[in-house]
Amino acid sequence: MYGDTLIALTVGFPSLAGILCYALNNRVARRLIVALTAVVLIGSSILLYQGGGFEYEPAPVFDYVVLILDLALLVYFLYAGLKYSNWLVIGLAALQLFPVAYFEFGLGGMSVEPMIVVNELSIMMSLIISIVGSLIVVYALSYMDEHEHHLHIEKSKQPRFFFFMLLLLGAMHGLVFSNSLYWVYFFWEVTTLCSYELIRHDNTEIAVKNSLTALWMNLLGGVGFVAAIYIGFLFVGTISLEELTKRSAAPISLLLFATLAFAAFTKSAQFPFNKWLQGAMVAPTPVSALLHSSTMVNAGIFLILRFAPAFRGTPLSYGAALVGAFTFMITAVLAINERVSKGILAYSTIGNLGLMILCAGINTPLSYAAALTLLVFHSVSKGLLFLCAGVIENRVHTRFVEEWEGLLAKLPRTTIVMIVGMLSMFLPPFGMLLGKWMAIDAISAAPTMGLLIMLMLVLIGSAATTLYYAKWLGHMLVLPQSGKKLGNEELPLPYSISLFSLLSLSVVLGVAASSVLGAVVLPTLPMGYISYISPNLFTIETSYGSFLLYPFWVGVVAIFFVGVLIALRKGGIVKAPYVSGENIVDSPDAFMTTADTQVPMQVSGLFMDNEFSASRVLNYGVVAGVLVVMIMFLTVVL
Amino acid sequence: MVDFANLYTYIPVVLVILAPIIGGIMMGIDRKLTARMQSRMGPPIVQPFYDAIKLWGKEPFIASQLQPILAFGYFGFSIAAFTLLAFGQDMLLMIFTMAIADLCLIFAAFNSKSPYSNIGARRELIAMMSYEPVMLLAAISVFFVTGSFMVGSIYEISQPLLTILPLTFLALIPVLIIDMKKSPFDVSGSGHAHQELVRGIYTEFSGYTLALVELGHWTKITLLLAFASLFWSQNLIVGVVLAFALFFVVLVIDNSYPRLDWKTMIKTTWTVGFLLIIANIVGLIARVVILS
Repeated sequence: MYGDTLIALTVGFPSLAGILCYALNNRVARRLIVALTAVVLIGSSILLYQGGGFEYEPAPVFDYVVLILDLALLVYFLYAGLKYSNWLVIGLAALQLFPVAYFEFGLGGMSVEPMIVVNELSIMMSLIISIVGSLIVVYALSYMDEHEHHLHIEKSKQPRFFFFMLLLLGAMHGLVFSNSLYWVYFFWEVTTLCSYELIRHDNTEIAVKNSLTALWMNLLGGVGFVAAIYIGFLFVGTISLEELTKRSAAPISLLLFATLAFAAFTKSAQFPFNKWLQGAMVAPTPVSALLHSSTMVNAGIFLILRFAPAFRGTPLSYGAALVGAFTFMITAVLAINERVSKGILAYSTIGNLGLMILCAGINTPLSYAAALTLLVFHSVSKGLLFLCAGVIENRVHTRFVEEWEGLLAKLPRTTIVMIVGMLSMFLPPFGMLLGKWMAIDAISAAPTMGLLIMLMLVLIGSAATTLYYAKWLGHMLVLPQSGKKLGNEELPLPYSISLFSLLSLSVVLGVAASSVLGAVVLPTLPMGYISYISPNLFTIETSYGSFLLYPFWVGVVAIFFVGVLIALRKGGIVKAPYVSGENIVDSPDAFMTTADTQVPMQVSGLFMDNEFSASRVLNYGVVAGVLVVMIMFLTVVL
Repeated sequence: MVDFANLYTYIPVVLVILAPIIGGIMMGIDRKLTARMQSRMGPPIVQPFYDAIKLWGKEPFIASQLQPILAFGYFGFSIAAFTLLAFGQDMLLMIFTMAIADLCLIFAAFNSKSPYSNIGARRELIAMMSYEPVMLLAAISVFFVTGSFMVGSIYEISQPLLTILPLTFLALIPVLIIDMKKSPFDVSGSGHAHQELVRGIYTEFSGYTLALVELGHWTKITLLLAFASLFWSQNLIVGVVLAFALFFVVLVIDNSYPRLDWKTMIKTTWTVGFLLIIANIVGLIARVVILS
């Protein structure tokens, strides 16, 4: 229909809006621009969804624009490497700059037809990027004001910040719509640039250090991409995504997919490339929210899901699945010992991405649907959690979850939003658990003997996930009797808009999960993936089991109301906790010791430092991750 | 005239209503048997009901406004999980629902500032982490036999599950020990007070909230025993005997071992549970391969 307009609006508009934000250093103008971009993005992605897939050939001039910008980008990376004398960055940037230049000028480049292919998967990605991404950028309007106020920054750096935030939204759209591997690579590198610039935004020593880690790891993925382009050009004869997915899985195209999977692992921060996403949390919270939920890391998942039909049933597929399963398990274990709120969320992100890659690697219709389900629900819930964590952090001035005890009394409204977000991450009948349920079904029925290893990894991972989320949630639920509200819990308008939109989105999508499955997930399944999933009014049925969605929700509501009813009927006097009778009358949260001194009751958090040290597990994990990725390559080569 | 075909469909409903009562009776039997093992007389078998009724009528003291709601959540979700089992629904969903029930209890314990109940709640989380994956793997091993996660599908196989999955059945022993809060894995709070952490996770419950927690506990025990009885789904009586045997083994272990720490709990449950079930699955696959 208006395909070209919609492409321009989703890719071009945010990028131009970003440039405008950069040019105009004005708070009001910035707010208007961001609000307008959000409306435009959400509107056009919904129109895209209604219009369905199409192909489109942009004007040839864009070929040159992409080429020039790409080379400029690579030169800039080289410059960044030289500036901080980081040899890894220099080397990896050079490893891309010269081959790309040779590819374009020496070999004459390669164009594909058509340049833009919008299919169901890209539309689904576009919905996620537009809706969740825009809400996060809106949130950033308030957050960055508070952030700069808190850091006492005289000259606002917000123009720069919003430029890269909006550019990231545009680049992600470009990435999911392009059909040429070269264009995908270009937008891939733009997201790398955005993450690098946003992570080092505060320009502290640690921020610069972590941004360079992010840069070199993502550049490594870029090298994988360049290798894929060369293999496609020299041996397979095409770099069109559509063509590649249709080819039969010859060993050489498997190698191409393996290099792309490798690139996807770097972007989705799978082990052994987990470090950059952990480091990314030094950036202001909206950056983490955007990188973790709706953009950046999803690019890797998108790439794997896009190519999964082409390597269905091959050893590569199961190799990738193993990387994902391993990452899911180890991040869940590591998250147990993590103290920092955003750190826990980061591990949870990496783990869930691992679960998605595992599902994509199992590569059956059911597991593919599970990966898509997880992708949708994870984006919304994780976005919400990061936003809440940011608000809470700015109010209580600590990011250590142990010090978040009794938050329910201090900041009831935000805390309840956060609690709902957390429940939506790990409890049924919310969407994430629906995804996990489908995943376990699919893995158990996987046509490979490796499923036993993957099952063990997933089961241990989910047990640890429940532990680390539940203990965090428990901390927030502690209600000390001396607990008081922390002043006035007024939320500025951008906060309220983004928080409550995402909250209602995660609840509504959770309740209407079978509609989400029917309207978004099932149509997105690639050709030949005939699913046996029937989401109906009562239950979501697969060939192996049934998830009673609506009865479950009715049950949850009924149990809640009966509980409230009993609580109201029976009531009761709130008593100080039992401390062997050594209570103190006027301070209910303290007790009298044998030495007659008053000591506040305190139980420290549940961490397992004596049982396993996080840094050791991390190191072993990276080594094991390298091994697993190597095994994946070996299975392809042999 | 009584319509028997119709009557048959009411059995699950009746079972759901009876679930807490059966659990209560099992608790009474537990107290009696334990007393006999310790050469005591023991209370009458219906003693748990007397206790619960008395608790319900006590003067209400609560730790926070949220506590009664969460205490009911423990009971409510246990019933919900049992309902899924009774109606032959999905096993994975049933285990997840059990986890919600557990989490309600844990959050209720977290909800007060009490050090004892807080420590109990942390330990209960670890207990959950120990037994939940074993339980899930047990369900998956059943899936390998029946090709479905529906409880109903177990009734359709001609051979008793016990003869196909004997090791999975054994792996239920540590699960039941943890869930019944029996020695050696009663770290989060046991039936009787210990000096170390008073009653752990139960410390802050009293009166009607404690009664609700007891009801939830009974329901959960019925649920686990019902799951065990599915291992002989062809004959209900044999199934019940099987479940009772499991129950008896747990009581014997309870009375012969002292409490062990959480590290031992997690290590034992995972190694014993996982090894047994994986061995069983590998054996099944090997048999299929050899036969074909």
